[in-house]
Amino acid sequence: MQNVDAIGSGISEQPKLNYLTNGFTLKSWLLTKDHKRIAIMYLITVSLFFMAGGIYASVIRLELLTPASDLVQTATYNKVFTQHGILMIFFFLIPSIPAVLGNFLLPIMIGAKDLALPRINLLSLYIYWIGGALTIYALMQGGVDTGWTFYTPYSTTFSNTYVMAVGLGIFINGFSSILTGLNFIVTVHTMRAPGMTWFRLPLFVWAQYATSLVMILGTPVIAITVLLLAIERTVKVGIFDPSIGGDPILFQHMFWFYSHPAVYIMVLPGMGVVSELISNFSRKKIFGYEFIAFSSIAIAVFGFLVWGHHMFVSGQSIYAGLVFSFLTMVVAVPSAIKMFNWAATLYKGSISFDTPMLYGLGFMGLFLIGGLTGLFLGAIGLTVHLTDTYFVVAHFHYVMVGGQVIAYLGGIHYWWPKMTGKMYSEFWGKISAMLVFVGFNLTFGPQFILGYLGMPRRYASYPEELQVLNIFSTAGASVLGVGMLMPVIYLLHSLVWGKPAGDNPWMLPGLEWRTSSPPPTENFEKMPVVTWEAYEFGEESGLDLEGARNRVRPSTVA
Amino acid sequence: MSSHSDNNEEFHYHAPGLQHQFEDMKQQEESVSIGMWMFLVQEIMFFGGLFTAYLVFRSRYPMAFAAGSNHLNAFWGGLNTLVLIVSSLTMALTVYYAQKGNRNMQVILIVLTMFFGSVFLGVKAIEYTDKYNHGLVPVSGWNKRIKEEAGDHHEAAKPCWDVDHNAPVVEHPNPHGEFQWTDCSLVKLAQDHNYLTDAERVGYFNQGTGQIDANKFRDKVRIFYFIYFVMTGLHALHMIIGLGIMTWLLILAWKNTFSADYYMPVEMSGLYWHFVDIVWIFLFPLLYLLGRHFLH
Amino acid sequence: MSDNHEQHEHMNIPKYLAIFGILVVGTIATYFAATIDLDWIFPGANTLLALGIAFTKTACVMLFFMHVYWSPKLIWLSALASFFWLAIMFSYTMQDYFTRSLGVFSS
Repeated sequence: MQNVDAIGSGISEQPKLNYLTNGFTLKSWLLTKDHKRIAIMYLITVSLFFMAGGIYASVIRLELLTPASDLVQTATYNKVFTQHGILMIFFFLIPSIPAVLGNFLLPIMIGAKDLALPRINLLSLYIYWIGGALTIYALMQGGVDTGWTFYTPYSTTFSNTYVMAVGLGIFINGFSSILTGLNFIVTVHTMRAPGMTWFRLPLFVWAQYATSLVMILGTPVIAITVLLLAIERTVKVGIFDPSIGGDPILFQHMFWFYSHPAVYIMVLPGMGVVSELISNFSRKKIFGYEFIAFSSIAIAVFGFLVWGHHMFVSGQSIYAGLVFSFLTMVVAVPSAIKMFNWAATLYKGSISFDTPMLYGLGFMGLFLIGGLTGLFLGAIGLTVHLTDTYFVVAHFHYVMVGGQVIAYLGGIHYWWPKMTGKMYSEFWGKISAMLVFVGFNLTFGPQFILGYLGMPRRYASYPEELQVLNIFSTAGASVLGVGMLMPVIYLLHSLVWGKPAGDNPWMLPGLEWRTSSPPPTENFEKMPVVTWEAYEFGEESGLDLEGARNRVRPSTVA
Repeated sequence: MSSHSDNNEEFHYHAPGLQHQFEDMKQQEESVSIGMWMFLVQEIMFFGGLFTAYLVFRSRYPMAFAAGSNHLNAFWGGLNTLVLIVSSLTMALTVYYAQKGNRNMQVILIVLTMFFGSVFLGVKAIEYTDKYNHGLVPVSGWNKRIKEEAGDHHEAAKPCWDVDHNAPVVEHPNPHGEFQWTDCSLVKLAQDHNYLTDAERVGYFNQGTGQIDANKFRDKVRIFYFIYFVMTGLHALHMIIGLGIMTWLLILAWKNTFSADYYMPVEMSGLYWHFVDIVWIFLFPLLYLLGRHFLH
Repeated sequence: MSDNHEQHEHMNIPKYLAIFGILVVGTIATYFAATIDLDWIFPGANTLLALGIAFTKTACVMLFFMHVYWSPKLIWLSALASFFWLAIMFSYTMQDYFTRSLGVFSS
């Protein structure tokens, strides 16, 4: 199904070679400098980590079916939730959208041949593999049970698990993140095509840029924190040990200085994807482009000022708590601005409920709930009651899964035809999107109530009266699991049996849709000169979008 | 590959060292420069974490830090500072001559830079050995073991604040290589002048007797030495990496790779080297010069 | 042809040596100033002076040895932003420690 007529004359044939067919040897993949191939390798690795983390999640939910600690021993349960957190956060959530979608799309979206520093990109991938391998090895040797937060003095002094090895894996992985961020910043500054001014950039690029700022400024601090933790664990003397005058709260300050901005590393790219989805599937220019662009930067900056809201009950000064609480309220504002702008974009748009749009709309609703409950937790009076309960667990799963993972799935579906040249089954796509949405809410909705009723997090057992809600939660988790496995099946199926997607299956004006699917190694046959604004659906885009759309509409093909 | 024909059948001359993703040298230089600075930004934050820890503990236990700092040899530290500054000069001049394409001066200056860098590491080695010999390594068992002699008479334990600074230094027995600290005279001084922080009032004193507790004070001094070793150790590691980079640069410079058209690798290596110098510029006063003014 | 070519012609050997001289003087100054007790001005004056000298030396190295003076604004922004971020990390951490004993919760 060729949609070249949506792109305009000039490119009349498929190029003979695209990035997938340009070399079939293992060496051509493992030593590639092509950002698209690196993105695909990240995609495979990230998906494997997601499934590993998901297995741990299943064990958690199965254990919590019954009030007693019967499926696994408490000590094992500690390892299970710790490892679920570590794998999901460090090896899935943080790299996923930047390393997969960002790597693939950023150069194409700005009209460049590749990232600015392709060998650094490859190094970033290698470092990710090494850190991941070390962590997996440590987990298989016996794992860690400290919680993904590694709080001292348990992690330094008392835990007899593989804290150092896992810490080292995370340390190494951090450099992968830093190098990716570094690469993106340089690329956006120096590699834009002629005519691609800052305010013509897609909002996905603005989001990646803001994320990269956070990666550069925040990740080194967790690196040094984990290094100090490892040193203290080895030599048994250090600055986090209260028995020699050290301060465990210092660990928490240094840890959360990164780990709070880390959640913005996770969610900002997701918001970038959602900006693309909402605008493109409403076929309407996004409302308040500059506001969304600057909000991304604002979230990145303000995100560094609120880390103490993870430490309200740790023993930190109550006055510091006040400052952090106030700023937590402030940091919600840019996110809210984005939410309003997306809603305004939808208004009077020509909305099509394709699978990616379902995920995009799902993000809006679920992130809203997650974000609002974050404000509950940011208010000191409430937080004292809700700290370390399932309310917190529900909150962060709403923003991280209901937010980031949903956005990631939406982005994968949206750009799948571009990356692979094949179209997946829209029917199964919609089914799984709805299963994910229903399953997710059934899993984590009851957890708000559980938390409010006082069920502590990280406990394998709980009072009997809370069992019904936990059963709902586990039931939801199974639905969610099915919903998340289905894309693996139908997306892989589409690689072999999917319909060829054509260059511009969604009939959209973005620069990535003006090259073939899959793109050639150098991204464009002829380097583009940009003369149109971002999200330009009319004639100014230089494309006959309406005409092409009237001829063929992908969603009518099942 | 310095030239190729593209689809338009035109020949393009590429400057030596131009990579395929860039249109021209200017774009490459700009990209590499921004990239290096982003790397330095993250390195600043990396060391920044350690400076934060330093800040927290120094504000809590200033007298322990002052005491520990006084035992560091500020002369060697100051000498090292000068050595690094000279190496920074030779590095900057290397960039200058690289841009001029003057191969011989480049090679001489890189060798000089490496020489001064090695001198720095040599002095550090002397300092660390000195700490090892005096029981100042904060890890139990990592200090020089000094057997207790049969003839050692344990003089009546003097209070730790009653120290005669003019007496010759005596080597105390240290059979297990422990961290040792016996001089808490600064605490007495601070107590007399009412300088102590809240944390110190609790942290140095035996709550029962109200006397200075030598072991508790020793533990706080040990924190100082932990931070000293981690910060200078990490810095030294960066120095070693810097020497590796210089070796690579030396090989390239020897082959006359650099000229006005292509000298960015030298400039970028220079940025790294200057960064390492800057870290030391802050480390020196903060670690070595803290409590000197209390001694007079 | 690179544009940086013109920028670096601003620095020549005498100027590099001059900056070197400033750095050496700064080092010697900070060494001896540390031995003079300045606590009569206010407690911590010694530290402030030492930091002031260190920042001056850093500025010399950054501006002239690292050529930031002639670099594009983005480089200036990166250098300044990194110090600003350090300041955020230091001040926000210390605001916890400094306020622990204040007000109604003081010991």
